[in-house]
Amino acid sequence: MTGATGKPAAPVGARPRGRRRATVRGRGAISPLAALVWLAPALLLIVGVVLWPAVELVRASRSRYSITGLRKGPAGWDNFRNVLANDSLGTVLTNTVIWVIAVVALTIAISLGVAQFLTKDFWGRRFVRWAVIVPWAASLVITARLFTLIYSYYYGSINAVLLDLHLITTPIDFLGSDKLIMPSMIAVGVFVSIPFTAYVFVAGLGAIPTEVHEAARIDGGSPWQIWRHITLPLLRPAILVASVMNMIYVFNSFPIVYTLNESNPGFSHDTTITFMYKLAFKSAEKDVGQSAAAGLFNVVIILVAVLVYLRVTRWRDQEEQ
Amino acid sequence: MTRRSRAWRVAAVGLGASIALAGCSGGSGAGSAGGNSSSGSASGPTTIKLVAAEYSKDHTKAFWDKFATDYKAKTGNTLQVQIVSWDDIDQQSSTMVQNNNPPDILNLNAYASYAKDNLLYSSDDVLSASVKSDLLPAFVKSGSYQGKMYGMPDLSSARAMFYNKTLFTKAGIAAPPKTWAEFEADAKKITALGGGDIGYGLPLGPEEAQGEFSIWLFNNGGDWKTDGKWTINSPQNVETLTFLKSLATQKLTQNNPGKTNRQDAFDLFASGKVGMVVGFSPLAGTLDKAGKVDYGVAPMPTKADGGTPQTFGVTDYLMAFKKPGNQAAVKAFYDLYYQPDQVNTFIKAEGFLPVTTTGIAAFASDPKLKTYLDTLPNAHLTPTDDPTWDKVKLAVQQNLGTAMTGDPKAVLDKLQQSAENGG
Repeated sequence: MTGATGKPAAPVGARPRGRRRATVRGRGAISPLAALVWLAPALLLIVGVVLWPAVELVRASRSRYSITGLRKGPAGWDNFRNVLANDSLGTVLTNTVIWVIAVVALTIAISLGVAQFLTKDFWGRRFVRWAVIVPWAASLVITARLFTLIYSYYYGSINAVLLDLHLITTPIDFLGSDKLIMPSMIAVGVFVSIPFTAYVFVAGLGAIPTEVHEAARIDGGSPWQIWRHITLPLLRPAILVASVMNMIYVFNSFPIVYTLNESNPGFSHDTTITFMYKLAFKSAEKDVGQSAAAGLFNVVIILVAVLVYLRVTRWRDQEEQ
Repeated sequence: MTRRSRAWRVAAVGLGASIALAGCSGGSGAGSAGGNSSSGSASGPTTIKLVAAEYSKDHTKAFWDKFATDYKAKTGNTLQVQIVSWDDIDQQSSTMVQNNNPPDILNLNAYASYAKDNLLYSSDDVLSASVKSDLLPAFVKSGSYQGKMYGMPDLSSARAMFYNKTLFTKAGIAAPPKTWAEFEADAKKITALGGGDIGYGLPLGPEEAQGEFSIWLFNNGGDWKTDGKWTINSPQNVETLTFLKSLATQKLTQNNPGKTNRQDAFDLFASGKVGMVVGFSPLAGTLDKAGKVDYGVAPMPTKADGGTPQTFGVTDYLMAFKKPGNQAAVKAFYDLYYQPDQVNTFIKAEGFLPVTTTGIAAFASDPKLKTYLDTLPNAHLTPTDDPTWDKVKLAVQQNLGTAMTGDPKAVLDKLQQSAENGG
């Protein structure tokens, strides 16, 4: 695990340092000690926020814990074996894949439209731009809690409206039905992910020079052609960043799944993140060690997923060029 | 900047973020800082820390803050108070123990696992004889692990059947049901009123499935443990769960009872839609405050004709962690807490029931509490004195609800098996 965590950090850290050292030498004079003093706050932050928790996580995953949280001794690889042997692991992984792919794909698709809309000139654009930020600015727990009320079987506003319109005769059990809970959670996930993504795209659209579009129009390109062959390719870096950030963000999203899924027993609608939490504190396992092991699996899963995604998109780039 | 290095950078940022997240949620986050909770010298003033569960927003913090002032005035010691919501307290206490930084006093609904891990003072160390003799014997028993008492009760509750008098009158039901057969018939009558009225509010979701199932199985002569052996899948218990499932399949309950939490069932009852629900005194407090529902409180119906109604009692605990130099301060804490004007004030404000003999005498004058107080000394409790129960309880919470759509016997068989394997 430590090998994997150290590896990707190295190139990022090493390159700028090498470059800076070259220029410093050129001018001739900063002692390594002085440099260290200047770097100290950043280094402390990295050690405290990234390295120390990671080390603790690895240590916890290799320890045997009592239900009270008391460390009882080393556990070897037992925690990892137990997580892999968990009956619900397959369900949880499937849920996670559906959750991440559906939320990210829908978010990107909808945000592309929203961003186009927000860059147009219209009366009240400032107001709309602010309004779009709201779901992002609100605390996820509060948003999720609000949606449990909106979805509620007995008091939910969606059911109330549908019943009043006589579209349904009995309420829909959005959060209790095994078929509907995942789509219901995905809808909320998309709702809270759109603002950030749309703003990344607004920035991306703003960075496209207007001359390119003008030239395309003069050449007689239809709006669809212009969007497909000019806007979309030039937006590719923004889409790449937005997808990767969203993948990580949605994968790690805890409050929505946990809150909306709260009254469902067992693991049948959990993703790997809520699975990890329940392993530690709510399930019959109640085992911090297993939860830490699951946490390390999570890190590996998202790392692999992101790298695969980046590789796939780069490969497509080269093919097109 | 090449595309390649950008990709690496994005990946590295993501990795950092996910590690940091995993680290926090894995429970290895920093414990609360600023705790010189055990200052070594036994003679001078000591600072101890209390982590207490939040029973209500209005009263819990107010009581403990006042208590800390009284404690300081009486003993010279300082009491740091940290109030934690019930949702978070398992996580917080586990993290504190894990980081070797437990509080001196912890308020929780379980203690046996902590006693088993040898983390706690027993009553011999920290409870004055006069205090211990005042505690109700049922709670001394439930607070004792392997012959020694570690779980000091802070308050208690007993369950009873709440019924909506307005709906009962509308459905032509004269008196609350005494047997399961009457209960089922009454639930049918209320459901038949139409208009969305619900016969019985049955919460078997993960919040407190073990509580709801307990009171029903006790009234069928069942128990979780009998003579020291687990009897989760006993014929009585299977019969009980099958009966509850039949209520669900006949649609006499609210929608999806296996996925309904207790609070949701209470909310439905408070909205006036539900005929009957198993409740406890804090629910009465909520209903009185809202003043919307005309309700009555009755003993639970029994399976057998002419059976004696059984009550399910619950108590939470104040346990004391062994830390160098804190024993005298902890003892002083208990001495003060069990003063009638402290413990009874707290219990009264929170709407619960007393844990002491003097408390029962003090509360006896309240006619609203009579139904509970009469039954309290004989209340059945869950086997909180067995550390295995701490895990079995979680397994019950996470699995019992599945019996509403699955096979009750299979669900109980599996729970029995996990209990026999030590949870």
